[in-house]
Amino acid sequence: MATQDTALEIRSERRSAAQRNALLMRIAELAPIVIVLFVLFGGALVLALLQSLGFAPWFGINTFPDFSYFGALWGSSAFWVSLGLTLYYGFVSTIIALIMAIVLSLALIKPFRGKILYKYLYKLPLMIPYTVGIALAVLMLGNGGILSRLLALVGMIDNPGDFPQILKTHYGWGIMAVYVWKQVPFMTLAIYAVLLGIGRETEEAAAILGATRRQIFFSVTLPQILPGIVSSTLICFAFNVGAFEAPFILGGGYPDTLPVVAWRYFNDANYAFQLQGMATVVSIGIVAGVILFAYLAVYRRYERMRGRA
Amino acid sequence: MTQVQLRAVRKEFGSFVALEHIDLNIASGELVALLGPSGCGKTTTLRMISGLDNPTDGEILFDGKDVSDVPVRDRNVGMVFQRYALFPHMNVEKNITFGLRVRNIPAEEVEARLEEILDIVQLTQFRHRFPAQLSGGQMQRVAIARTLITKPSVLMMDEPLANLDTNLRGEMRRFIRDLQQRFNITTIFVTHDQVEAMELSDRVAVLFDGRLEQFDTPDAIYHRPDKISVAKFMGASNIFQGTIGDGVVKAGFADLAVTGTQQFDAGEQVDVMVRSEAIRLLKQPQDGAANQVEGEIRTSDFFGATVSYTVQVGDHQLNVDEHSTEKLDPGSRVFLQLPGDRIWLFPKRAN
Ligand SMILES: Nc1ncnc2c1ncn2[C@@H]1O[C@H](COP(=O)(O)OP(=O)(O)OP(=O)(O)O)[C@@H](O)[C@H]1O
Ligand SMILES: [Mg+2]
Repeated sequence: MATQDTALEIRSERRSAAQRNALLMRIAELAPIVIVLFVLFGGALVLALLQSLGFAPWFGINTFPDFSYFGALWGSSAFWVSLGLTLYYGFVSTIIALIMAIVLSLALIKPFRGKILYKYLYKLPLMIPYTVGIALAVLMLGNGGILSRLLALVGMIDNPGDFPQILKTHYGWGIMAVYVWKQVPFMTLAIYAVLLGIGRETEEAAAILGATRRQIFFSVTLPQILPGIVSSTLICFAFNVGAFEAPFILGGGYPDTLPVVAWRYFNDANYAFQLQGMATVVSIGIVAGVILFAYLAVYRRYERMRGRA
Repeated sequence: MTQVQLRAVRKEFGSFVALEHIDLNIASGELVALLGPSGCGKTTTLRMISGLDNPTDGEILFDGKDVSDVPVRDRNVGMVFQRYALFPHMNVEKNITFGLRVRNIPAEEVEARLEEILDIVQLTQFRHRFPAQLSGGQMQRVAIARTLITKPSVLMMDEPLANLDTNLRGEMRRFIRDLQQRFNITTIFVTHDQVEAMELSDRVAVLFDGRLEQFDTPDAIYHRPDKISVAKFMGASNIFQGTIGDGVVKAGFADLAVTGTQQFDAGEQVDVMVRSEAIRLLKQPQDGAANQVEGEIRTSDFFGATVSYTVQVGDHQLNVDEHSTEKLDPGSRVFLQLPGDRIWLFPKRAN
């Protein structure tokens, strides 16, 4: 009892000690979460890499280090077509979504009637699940879908079967439509917030200095909304490259995008293909990582150049 | 070098009337201060002259020609924004030359004009810095240089000194005055600081609540305000009620002989104003002096060069500023002289 009393006294006199104890307590409370996070994500990453290099004793396979899975993958021309398709869908949809988002955010900055309602409406796709979007694409854009029937109804095509093939082609219009549909609101949100932050004054100053609307957009507005553009395109591109459902359901079949290729390997009855699948996943990771890292590095350099830390 | 006229200009934002019937004739090459409290419509006025906003009613003329159909970029005006509005992604050079580059001025000329203006605003050594790397005063000079390099015929500045410290402020005032005289540009300068308006301008336009109260020289605005509201805004402190008598105004504490009583009817109620520094304070009465009253010092505050007294005269308190050669203590008996030509009368009906 006596020691406890003195301990209490000391603690009340030295608040910093009490605060440090509280901090330790908090860390202890957080420990389970931190551990789970590490095991699930950090651990999973390491495991994926190990498996792709031939380490999978739970399947009775251990040829680590074994680059044959990567070799087989990178040696097939189908892989490169798949990679090309994956990047093509990722890039093109990100660019289309970006252009639409910029136009939309510039329009949202100006006052117009019904703006408050519109600001709710355009965010709707953010709240609708991704798979619902894919189902909508099938319903709307498929042959015999709503759009084809509508066009037939107004007489633009003779019958719904003449509707051009949008889904299930390697052009991937259906896939990209879903990506764009889901991501325009997200990018708009990010860019609109940046636009609100920079205000109108620099644009007004440019107009007074004699700039045309085009000059104002390209040399004043665009460079200033770059942070919003970079962060949102980064996230969307990373998602598009790794997405599985849309290309699986709406894609043109073999050769598939890389995530679909990986899924096919994982689904194979032969366990050995798991490792091939892991090599595919790791390849996606490497490609996406390199692209995103280079993108960020260029942007950082630009920011540093203009005097920002 | 352009004459700017506002004719019956009115501006509404929805149902809110920001400016009401403004008439303003600014001569070519003149430096005019737009003075008034926050929210009175100063920025709105500048925005309409520049073309960023359009008047709801009335017209704006440059050299006699209506400019309502002339877009912003063709008005050849310059505007220094209250918060500078520098382009954060361009360095000092690029900021300054922006107005020339968008007009496709040949590179050699851009370079020559850049060197000249950098020298004038003393920013040569900062030419490669970005706005984020500059001090407030440096940013302001970039904003001014960026505007001047395009040789605008009308220069507008929206409280450009509001964010600066006292020393820098004084320096920048002289700098702006020099520049304006050197280039002889018609300049409209917004401020809510009376001293700044008077030190810088040829004429001061006092705006209250979207109305133009007075447009006159600093001297007239200060010493001969048209309205009691202007007098108050210019820091006049002794304002009291009076009744017009025969060549005098009857204030509660004395009958004061005043020039200018003839504009009023006998018995008319007026506001009487006399500036604190116009009143003479003496320790002994002077024989035969006009408008001399006796009082007692209540408070005395030392302000360096001057001492500020409040003096009880009858049931009135008067503020008096005197040079601080001697500081009298509260309780001292003193005599005040109110010069008849520096007492201003305002009709009650106007306010
Ligand atoms: N776009 C706008 N919409 C609605 N009201 C506005 C708008 N712009 C200005 N006002 C209003 O018009 C009035 C005048 O505004 P203005 O910006 O001209 O004031 P100011 O004299 O420049 O004030 P300050 O000294 O604070 O800068 C203010 O009451 C302001 O709220
Ligand atoms: Mg203002």
